[in-house]
Amino acid sequence: MSAATNPLNKNGEPVMWNFKLLAQNDLGGFGGMGEGMSVQIAKDGRRIIWLAHESAPKNFTAVDVSDPRQPKVVVQTELPKPYMRSNSLELSGDIMAVAYQTQKVNQQPAGLELFDVSVPEKPRSISFFDCSGATSRGVHQLWFCDGEYVHMASGSPDFKPSHPQDDQFYRCIDVRNPTKPVEVGRWWMPGTSATDNVNPPPRHPLDKGYRAHNTNVYPRRPDRLYLCYIDGGMFVMDIKDKANPKVISHWTNSPPYTGFMHTAVPLFDRDLMLVTDESTENAGKDWPKLIWILDMRDEKNLVSISTCPMPPVDAYKDRGGRFGAHNIHENATVPTAWQSDQIVLGTFFNGGLRAYDISNPYQPKEVGAFVPPPPKGTPAGAVQLNDVFADERGIVYTVDRHTGGLYTLEMDF
Amino acid sequence: MNELFPSPAAGRFGRRLKRERGPRVPVTIITGFLGAGKTTLLKRFLATPQGQGTAVVVNEFGAVGIDDALVRSSADETVLLGNGCVCCITRTDLQQALRRLVVERERGELPDFRRIMIETSGLADPSPILQTFATDRALGSVFHIEAVVTVIDAVAGSDTLQWSAEARKQAILADRLIITKTDIAGESSSATLAAKMRALNPGAEIHEAVDGEIDPTRLTEPVSDQRNAFVAEAAHGDNIGSFVLTGDRPVAWAVFARAMDTLMQLRGADLLRVKGFLDVEGCKGPVMVQFVQHLAHPPVELEMWPDGNRHSRVVFITRNISERQVRDLIAAIKALV
Repeated sequence: MSAATNPLNKNGEPVMWNFKLLAQNDLGGFGGMGEGMSVQIAKDGRRIIWLAHESAPKNFTAVDVSDPRQPKVVVQTELPKPYMRSNSLELSGDIMAVAYQTQKVNQQPAGLELFDVSVPEKPRSISFFDCSGATSRGVHQLWFCDGEYVHMASGSPDFKPSHPQDDQFYRCIDVRNPTKPVEVGRWWMPGTSATDNVNPPPRHPLDKGYRAHNTNVYPRRPDRLYLCYIDGGMFVMDIKDKANPKVISHWTNSPPYTGFMHTAVPLFDRDLMLVTDESTENAGKDWPKLIWILDMRDEKNLVSISTCPMPPVDAYKDRGGRFGAHNIHENATVPTAWQSDQIVLGTFFNGGLRAYDISNPYQPKEVGAFVPPPPKGTPAGAVQLNDVFADERGIVYTVDRHTGGLYTLEMDF
Repeated sequence: MNELFPSPAAGRFGRRLKRERGPRVPVTIITGFLGAGKTTLLKRFLATPQGQGTAVVVNEFGAVGIDDALVRSSADETVLLGNGCVCCITRTDLQQALRRLVVERERGELPDFRRIMIETSGLADPSPILQTFATDRALGSVFHIEAVVTVIDAVAGSDTLQWSAEARKQAILADRLIITKTDIAGESSSATLAAKMRALNPGAEIHEAVDGEIDPTRLTEPVSDQRNAFVAEAAHGDNIGSFVLTGDRPVAWAVFARAMDTLMQLRGADLLRVKGFLDVEGCKGPVMVQFVQHLAHPPVELEMWPDGNRHSRVVFITRNISERQVRDLIAAIKALV
């Protein structure tokens, strides 16, 4: 068996199975990418993908992917401070929301910025919603696909967590007037605020915090929030009254698993839900980090029915960096996003990009894999695929966390 | 399972696929008469980048495993089947060998092969191998026959076709015909052989390999979808003929399926190979159908018509069954359903 196709080979050789690589672009040497990917059709017809960077110095990069075989950088912006990161962004029409998080509490700027990107070369700031404070690091992640509300994982100057790790909670920001964003709702896990009259939740061994992460709300169910809360598991929330979010159900896998629940994506037509963990430790120390499939027929009683099969841990854990689940394609309700409830696309850091057929959700099958060679200059020693997005044409975009930038692919299955 | 969690995006035959094989492991069957040059071709292929990740299944005929010995030096994983011919004696061995490959790969005992090449013995009739993937649903869900490649040498090929019914069948059932040893045989012999093969199998692509060298994709890629549209009716001798059933209106699946059931029950042995696109009522993309003698491969629906040409075109290779008979059968069932 050749090294090129042998995942049992521990030397980190590439894997390509039922994907076709169209192009890679290291984004001018700033190819360390975060978990914000959104596609815009510009007024002149160009297809632009907007990408969040994992860390400073860059803020966001726009790439013309009209021809996915020849991606071209259109604009790349700088963060004002080296201690900032803008790990997350989302686009609705020509308005882009960008999350700003700082390394420490009480640093500025930290919050949410809205941009008019109708001229992609010249993003124009519309407004800034300040979330900085004595106990806040600002916004880690946001969700914005209806043009009206930004749902985000954020700290706030008026929120004092019971534990410093638990500083980001769910906040809903009304941006119908994008020049004046206004908070209309918030929720945190009971016990994570110093003012709560219940005990703080017990710490997990890896102690990654009880914080909000993904905050998905789909326009076809605007009264539902699918909220992942890192070490706190996942919550289905009733947000019909945005000012008073209510818990419908809670699901967690930890303990015995090691926490860091990341993303929950409902597949409404099938009464299923995808839930991902995030691997945050090197060398597989937090293995297994998985994509879980839940039976959602009764949203009050979520039942885990399977997980997407991972490649062998022994073949990957020593390749360098992290190995395990992270982001998946989230079926964002925008015209430029691919919609699928039969195929799951997920990134697994050094395990690359994986595609699963969940036609039978009890037996997900891997149908495609893409593990590129270590990108030039990566400190991890292996690729660390961080996020994935597929556009409505079925073109797949995935990004490396350190140096590899953007990869464009076709699905062949 | 789909009763519990159906996807409205799925078609009648499940998830619509980008291509016929979907995510399954491609299988190439290399057949051809003794000494035609199959092993040379395979060996050269394995040395190319496209040959990486190939598991080889060799069917030996004869006591000395020459073919296997040649291949083993370069193949990543070679499974040697027992002494005998794939088509009759060792078909079960083939199933077992393929199942073992899957199981050992899942266990991590075998490297993760991405392609299978089955080299048949010179005397093998390829149809039972095709049937194997239809009868064994477990195998059929993992593997897909991408191409049947028949190797014929320009020196002895014409004679062989003359006296051997097996050789003729190998040529008739091929997706691709590869002529070898053209440098030895000379141009006119090669041209004569090509003409004979064209007459036997007008639908197949014909290529020449010089000293075993050929574009590796000839062994890996499926034949062009367009090809089937141009297959003319042909008589092959042995009372074998081929025709293309075309249609510009969608057919009801119940009608087509019952017609094929009837044909398979009554004349399965004479239904050598049936393959093509069908425009099925209620389906968005073409439905790929394939039948080999008494057996039907599970149909799959593609996402879209490959050339935008929404017309049924199904190639029939049959023995003593005419296009008219098939059309009449379909019409009769349509009238009854």
